[in-house]
Amino acid sequence: MGENGLSSREKVLKLFKHEQTDYIPCFSGMGNIVMEGLKKYGLQFNEVHQDAKKMAFAAKATPELFGYDCAIVPFDFNVCAEVLGSKVQYYKTEDILYPSIPEKHIKSVEDIRIPSNLEKAGRFPIVMEAIRILKKEVGNEVAVGSWVLGPFTLAGQVTDLNKLLKDTFKKPNEVVQFLSPLRDLLIAEAKLYKKAGADFITVREMGTPVDLLSPRLWKSMIQPFMIKMREEIGSPAVLHICGKTNEIVHFMHECGYDAISVEHQNDVAMSRQKIGPSPKNLLFGNLETFKVMVQGTPEDVAKIVIAAIDGGVDAIWPGCDIWPGTPAENIKAMVETTREYGSKKKKER
Amino acid sequence: MADEAKRADILKRLSDGVVYFEDQKVIDAANEALEVRLDPFDAIMNGLAAGMEIVGDLYEKQEYFVPEILMCADALYAGLDILRPHLKAKEMKERVKGQVVIGVVQGDVHDIGKNLVKMMFDVAGFTVHDLGADVPLEKFAEEQVRTDSNIIALSAMMTTTMMGMRKVINMIKERNPDVAIMVGGAPLTKEIADVFGADGYAENAGNAVQEAIKMISRLREMHAKKQLGAAP
Repeated sequence: MGENGLSSREKVLKLFKHEQTDYIPCFSGMGNIVMEGLKKYGLQFNEVHQDAKKMAFAAKATPELFGYDCAIVPFDFNVCAEVLGSKVQYYKTEDILYPSIPEKHIKSVEDIRIPSNLEKAGRFPIVMEAIRILKKEVGNEVAVGSWVLGPFTLAGQVTDLNKLLKDTFKKPNEVVQFLSPLRDLLIAEAKLYKKAGADFITVREMGTPVDLLSPRLWKSMIQPFMIKMREEIGSPAVLHICGKTNEIVHFMHECGYDAISVEHQNDVAMSRQKIGPSPKNLLFGNLETFKVMVQGTPEDVAKIVIAAIDGGVDAIWPGCDIWPGTPAENIKAMVETTREYGSKKKKER
Repeated sequence: MADEAKRADILKRLSDGVVYFEDQKVIDAANEALEVRLDPFDAIMNGLAAGMEIVGDLYEKQEYFVPEILMCADALYAGLDILRPHLKAKEMKERVKGQVVIGVVQGDVHDIGKNLVKMMFDVAGFTVHDLGADVPLEKFAEEQVRTDSNIIALSAMMTTTMMGMRKVINMIKERNPDVAIMVGGAPLTKEIADVFGADGYAENAGNAVQEAIKMISRLREMHAKKQLGAAP
């Protein structure tokens, strides 16, 4: 319980309702497990991806230890691809090594097979169960969130990305045909997570920043998919893209999500100007998750938190998954600086 | 031997064909280069590679994006496949006898950046040992020792996998501090590359091409200095 007697969860949800608040939350729609949290529950990094209880406990440790305003599952990018038939490689090493998909098994749209009973497909039931456990364990205090990929990013996981990228130029209609069933599967995935109790969903279309695709192509090809996902998934939903996004942030905003999420390569003050004022238009971001969060000092972390708030973000939000090896004092600095500087700044605003 | 006007015409067509991803134009120009006995190395470096440098600039200026670069790369390979077999064995020996071990680190399967860098090494006549994607970290060090390569190029596209790079760099530098190590990929910055102890860094796909060219010339200089030093 904090200011005004509202819980951390209620504050986040109030923000998502686009109401004026006196509070800047510190949370994210992406993975945020840390070694400190794994230690708390005696977990190894490699065992938290396929076991609902372990997944949930790894996720809840971060808000418990640091006062972070959310708990998020899952952690790796392969849940939906696995449902499509990809063989996921789970590493047995003690290092922090996320599962991966060594072989792209889908060659064309005809190869796409979607299981009939999605509630039992792949790890969907594990993530759903993890969400239910989180709701029971910490659901009254903090927002419980989950995420799905965007269809282009998912396509890059299951099919030859070289060909996919070239086809955006050579055969755009075929790419759209290929992405459509993936979009529908991702919508279904998001709906399952909401059914399990997720308070909000983040759509991560990570493979489509300006580093990769032209803004023109984003608008003509990716945006219709993002709009459809938004309509089907409902509120609250966040749209996230990593990399350079200043040139497409207004297109992202047009998709109608409750909030836009960006990383450190996005100039948030410029984005704020492009998308309009809060709390109608929410902008989350944009902490750099390695150079500063892992390699920097708590003072460095405080600086980027202050810069993001001054830039006009509505929530302090790491621009990517928090690296599990991030030092505990840096996570603390992130949360504490958000609390102190955020409330001071809110009073001024 | 081709006269200067003919040479300029062929080089321009090779370069343009790469820039505007016109495979057939490149194929025709490459075949003509052989017919008029233009030096294949000249055609590769000042035609195909020159075109790819322009592509790198267009990417920097955000006129080209990754799909365009990939199509340019296809056009370049169309020409390279024709010209490369005609490089003379003697000439090959006189050039830098460079060997590169290249791959994407464990946990990561994104190989586009890696393939673009590999292409530039191919263009420059290096022997490339491509380990592919999702490569176990020890494998880089083993392959370097096995092949006695002088460059290792590591790629990672995800924040979650780039940490592996530091380990590889340490492993290799411990055994052989003279190996030049180049890193690249979306989550990396110059600072991270420095912290990891890398010798070269490629900011993005277009930049990787330029950085590879720079590293090759740096190695050429090192090579030239060594030869001078060895002379009586």
